[in-house]
Amino acid sequence: MTWETVIGLEVHAQLLTKSKMFCGCANKFGAPPNTLVCPVCLGLPGALPVPNEQAIRLATQAARALGCTVHPRSIFARKNYFYPDLPKGYQISQFDQPLATGGTIWCESPERGRIGIGVTRLHLEEDAGKSLHDRLPGKTAIDLNRAGTPLVEIVSEPDLRSPAEARAYLTTLKQILVYAEVSDCNMEEGSLRVDANISIRRPGDSKLGTKAEVKNMNSFANVERALIVEHDRQVALLESGGRVEQVTMLFNAAAGTVKPMRSKEESHDYRYFPDPDLPPLVLTPKWIEEQHAALPELPEPKRERFMTRYAITAYDAGVLAAERPVADYFESVVGAGAEAKAAANWVMGEAMSGYNETGRFGVSAERLSKLIGLVKEGVVSLQAAKRVYPELVAGNEEPRAVADRLGLIQVGDANTLGAWVAEVLAANPSEVERFRGGEAKLMGFFVGLVMKKSGGKADPKALQPLLTEKLRKK
Amino acid sequence: MSAVESAASGVREGRTTAAAAAKEVASRLEKTAALNASLNWSAERLEAEAARVDGATPSDRAKMPLAGVPIAVKDNIVTTEQPTTCGSRILEGYVSPFNATVINRLRAAGAMIACKANLDEFAMGSSTEHSAFGRVMHPDDPSCVPGGSSGGSAALVAAGAVPAALGSETGGSVRQPASFCGIVGIKPSYGRVSRYGLVAFGSSLDAVSSFGRTVDDAARVLAAMSGHDPLDATTIAQPPLVLDPPRRDLKGLTIGLPAEYFPRDLHKGVRAGLDRAIKAIKDLGGTIKEVSLPHTRYAVPTYYIIAPAEAAANLARYDGVRYGQRRVGPAGDLRALYQATRGQGFGAEVRRRILIGTYVLSSGYYDAYYRKAQQVRALLAEDFRRAFDAGCDMLLTPTTPTPAFKAGEKTEDPVAMYLADIFVCPVNLAGLPAVSFPVGRSEGLPLGAQLIAPNFAEARMLSAAAALEAALDAAAEVR
Amino acid sequence: MSIGREDVLHVAKLAELAVSDEELPKLTEQLGRIVDYVAQLNEVPAGEQAPPYLAGPDKVTLRPDVVAPVPLARPPADFAPEFSQGLFAVPRLGAMEDQ
Repeated sequence: MTWETVIGLEVHAQLLTKSKMFCGCANKFGAPPNTLVCPVCLGLPGALPVPNEQAIRLATQAARALGCTVHPRSIFARKNYFYPDLPKGYQISQFDQPLATGGTIWCESPERGRIGIGVTRLHLEEDAGKSLHDRLPGKTAIDLNRAGTPLVEIVSEPDLRSPAEARAYLTTLKQILVYAEVSDCNMEEGSLRVDANISIRRPGDSKLGTKAEVKNMNSFANVERALIVEHDRQVALLESGGRVEQVTMLFNAAAGTVKPMRSKEESHDYRYFPDPDLPPLVLTPKWIEEQHAALPELPEPKRERFMTRYAITAYDAGVLAAERPVADYFESVVGAGAEAKAAANWVMGEAMSGYNETGRFGVSAERLSKLIGLVKEGVVSLQAAKRVYPELVAGNEEPRAVADRLGLIQVGDANTLGAWVAEVLAANPSEVERFRGGEAKLMGFFVGLVMKKSGGKADPKALQPLLTEKLRKK
Repeated sequence: MSAVESAASGVREGRTTAAAAAKEVASRLEKTAALNASLNWSAERLEAEAARVDGATPSDRAKMPLAGVPIAVKDNIVTTEQPTTCGSRILEGYVSPFNATVINRLRAAGAMIACKANLDEFAMGSSTEHSAFGRVMHPDDPSCVPGGSSGGSAALVAAGAVPAALGSETGGSVRQPASFCGIVGIKPSYGRVSRYGLVAFGSSLDAVSSFGRTVDDAARVLAAMSGHDPLDATTIAQPPLVLDPPRRDLKGLTIGLPAEYFPRDLHKGVRAGLDRAIKAIKDLGGTIKEVSLPHTRYAVPTYYIIAPAEAAANLARYDGVRYGQRRVGPAGDLRALYQATRGQGFGAEVRRRILIGTYVLSSGYYDAYYRKAQQVRALLAEDFRRAFDAGCDMLLTPTTPTPAFKAGEKTEDPVAMYLADIFVCPVNLAGLPAVSFPVGRSEGLPLGAQLIAPNFAEARMLSAAAALEAALDAAAEVR
Repeated sequence: MSIGREDVLHVAKLAELAVSDEELPKLTEQLGRIVDYVAQLNEVPAGEQAPPYLAGPDKVTLRPDVVAPVPLARPPADFAPEFSQGLFAVPRLGAMEDQ
């Protein structure tokens, strides 16, 4: 039996603001527990929320980056439920008048190629604190440092058709949000959280099957794994004549399984209503467009531009555009004079290894460009340049000076080369005769001898034509 | 000169000290202890408040509009120096780690916090019979209620323990007790005074308000604490209230009388008090105009949907997790913590309102109740707008349908208690400013009337109220 | 009666308020009275509309993104009912687990 998989994703991303969503506490990770707190985020009697302008700005930029319509008027709403890490007994969120709706994320599906996944909505809300179940025996411990951190919630249309597509969507979404400096989307640190909804149906069916919600995945790979497992569970269930119940499944990464949540609670009644402490959020269309204009060039347009402007392949453009620091570095190297294709190879190769390890580029764009120039001019060979590179990382020497110091400068001037060639030809008259008689493959023999005589310094590119010329002479 | 101004000018000009005023207040608080109106005060605390004022430089003190003035503070406004209980077991002993903005502003103006004042639990009530710490007595007749929910503040001012006090209004909780106790209560426009540090009950209705024996007393306190607060997003970006100079007459003012507030069966004493006020307006050169506010009778039901709904959410934070009194039920788990803390920590009226509020917001009922109430609220606000647009500078109405009632008279039926608010709660729903002032007495108990003004027209309203006050003898028995 | 025993128990659960068996009948009656009383708003026709009432400013004033928390006069350890290793402590989740 064939089944069509239908997946929708709900992503929560923490915003990169200095302070929290509704109070002036610092928005940072890793502080001692309950030290980044104040009356507002503690939910003390008498405290009141005041929204953070930068959070609004970043959310607006995120929404525009995803192609959403940002609404000039949106309303904060209270989402009411009880949980120990929710200090007010309600979360300030947005409900029926969210900040933004109607966007699209374009990504690469392994099965379908380029796909546009609908973004239903993007709205602002505050994060809850952290509940720790293993710190105090028999109790739950609460740390409210995270309570009140600004979040955007991004909900996709159920347009995804496979767990692999879900992963691609997330990768692309993360890329966009990181590019826009809206969030660092780090699932391990909790600045990005994903809940998935998945159902299956017969191909061609327009009605959606009953969906299950899947939670507790801490990486994109685990999102894919969890969805595969849940998909298989639903298929097995339906094929054996059973029915899928609308449940919430928790993924267990260690076991690679999903299990239903223990409490068979009826679904929450959040009793949403507009928050009377917060007047409407009103943004002018002009201001919204200014935020959009202030966005950096995003990955997709940057990829396109790299291909056109630098005449590099789609693959290379993709790798270079994946992260802004890499893309910017590449363009600086080209901007400093290096030829694009060579720059691409060096950035994707040596420079990337260093960047992936240390998070920075060890060689300035200027110096790398100079090194690339030396290769182009024939001053050093490519292999020699690769020996120069680590020296450039280790110190501040100019590339030519390093090459000189290491004795890697190629000799390409006609006089010196000419002298060596003359010596070699004079010392090997019979091979010269044989070459002139037609044994063309002896060229390698002469090249080798000149290289040896020059101690490896002869520039093969200059040598070749010179040898050819001298050998032809009669 | 009003009590507040004469006390403050005495301290400013060095004729007396804040310490002397503090001693006097301590003695009066002791004398009025039987009212059960004051909570959590001490002579030491009073001395410390006075020391701050007396220790200021003379030039700083000369700028303090409320220098050395002792003010009672309703116990739902947070202070760091003593507990804030909200009249509830659930916050018994809770000492706030921050001060309300109004407290900071009053202190900057030189005022001294005399004591916290008893109230209906979480400001929910109209008689101050719903406090976990006992009911408050009416100063003129202990078998009567002083009104509520700010009954403690009203009683202390009426009994002369303090010249002024802070209360809060959600559905009339300052004007109604002011009327019952024969003093002045001013509710400012919504957004005029910061709510940061006022324990939230009905967020779109709540307003820190002031009591005084005279309009001038209460108005000076209000002016000192008013103004935009960056910590409260619902405050309006307007400068603090500046009072108009006193006026001797009401020439050029048109005062509307809404028919719905003068029913045929209005209490005879209340009617007589209003008649005196209407005559005084005419004698002072004001013009009377008949108007109608057709949706008035829906105000109380609208209020008792919106206020409990907001309260249900605002009181969800009282869960025993981070502060306050914690109780854990037999099951010993988290749910047992929530249900026992809240079930036992909240009194009956609070629990009823939380349950009603939860009900009207719950799935399936939101449209029929909460959304409907918002529609009617808009209509009520529009009724007032129309009356003002028709040429009224302000409106005059009774504050309460009767004088102070007896304790226990309305506690059996919650709806009976709610009806005590019929003339005051429309004002809260429309966010308007209003002032209740005494207009006489009936059978030994005070009578009040109120002026209601358009949004942000406090200055003109209060100068008119002061003119009326001067023309009326508040102690006179009316027929 | 528009609100019954089951409604009261359901709402009490949503509000995490314990209601004892003894209290339930009287509470149901009182809540019923209140609900019946407020239901008179249905007399107002749905078509009768006025511009929505907004308490306070027309639009929210935003706060600049600056780290400037309101300082606490005393730390959480001082007012928390139970505080250990810098953390608020509550009983185990029990019935509320997995939420």
